[in-house]
Amino acid sequence: MLNKDAVHAIIFQALANVNDERGPDEQLDISPATILFGTDAVLDSLSLVSVIVDVEAAVSEVSGRDVVLTDDRAMSQEVSPFSDVGSLTSYILLLLSEPV
Amino acid sequence: MTTTLKYAGKFALVTGSRRGVGRLITEHLLQHGAKVAGFARGDATFEHSNYVHFQVDVSDPAAVQKGFAALKKITEVIHIVVNNAAVLTSQYAMIMPPAAAQAMINTNLLGTFMVSREASKMMRKTKWGRIINIGSMAASLEPIGDSVYAACKAGVSTLANVMARELAPLNVTCNTLGVSGIKSDMLDQLPKEKIAAVIAGLPLPRFAEADDILNVLDFFASDRSSYITAQTVFLGGVN
Repeated sequence: MLNKDAVHAIIFQALANVNDERGPDEQLDISPATILFGTDAVLDSLSLVSVIVDVEAAVSEVSGRDVVLTDDRAMSQEVSPFSDVGSLTSYILLLLSEPV
Repeated sequence: MTTTLKYAGKFALVTGSRRGVGRLITEHLLQHGAKVAGFARGDATFEHSNYVHFQVDVSDPAAVQKGFAALKKITEVIHIVVNNAAVLTSQYAMIMPPAAAQAMINTNLLGTFMVSREASKMMRKTKWGRIINIGSMAASLEPIGDSVYAACKAGVSTLANVMARELAPLNVTCNTLGVSGIKSDMLDQLPKEKIAAVIAGLPLPRFAEADDILNVLDFFASDRSSYITAQTVFLGGVN
């Protein structure tokens, strides 16, 4: 079972992958408070998609179950799971806590 | 005869690779040095040291995802995708069975979308890719009986055009090859007189030859075509 720190690490790695594509002046500040989506987001839309794809793949691989982050349920959450690293972490932990 | 290995070092995925245009394209890619994976509902119909076959029904999104999971065990990269798998039922709309219409949408449109979706995730890593959808003259000629099939084939062009925008920053191009009539199992399903009338009405009134298709395929797939995206090229003068 993945814990909060492990999920954080996966998301941080996905954001680090985005940083790998950016110049030294465009590096993301990666922390639990990093805003992923919305008016203050630090990611453009394609970078956000890349982060979601990387996180989905890594969480699925490590947890051994298919995790889908972009289904109707995610889109209908009162607070978007993609608001920031913290909300995404919470949403992933919620999904993993449910029976397969 | 000398064969140039223009696809050496490339890994391609062809759907509907067992027969017809899909097999033709698969054998062409293999002949020119590519490694090729094939997705098809049935067993492989040929063997080649650089070919690996996966039994995947592209009309089933879960099957496509399982197919890609299996594919990722043998390759981390995919350079070229040819979305060829298609089914055809030609019938007046008023008597077209809904199940046949649904099957065409699932295979021809949803299958193309799912394969492109999963492949583009892999292409994202290498920042190079060619997605080539096999379209049809039906999308333009809109023949009687082909309401859903033609709509699906128009749809794969639109799908390619939108994905071309989304994937352009990743150096992935998306184009559509609109084939005209080529003698194949699929065409054999249609009345001969109907086909003859369609062919006779083309600016170039003959069946397509294998090389007509492969010529455009090579054009879309080449390194030099990095500035060619969101295009549909019809054969035979269809426009």
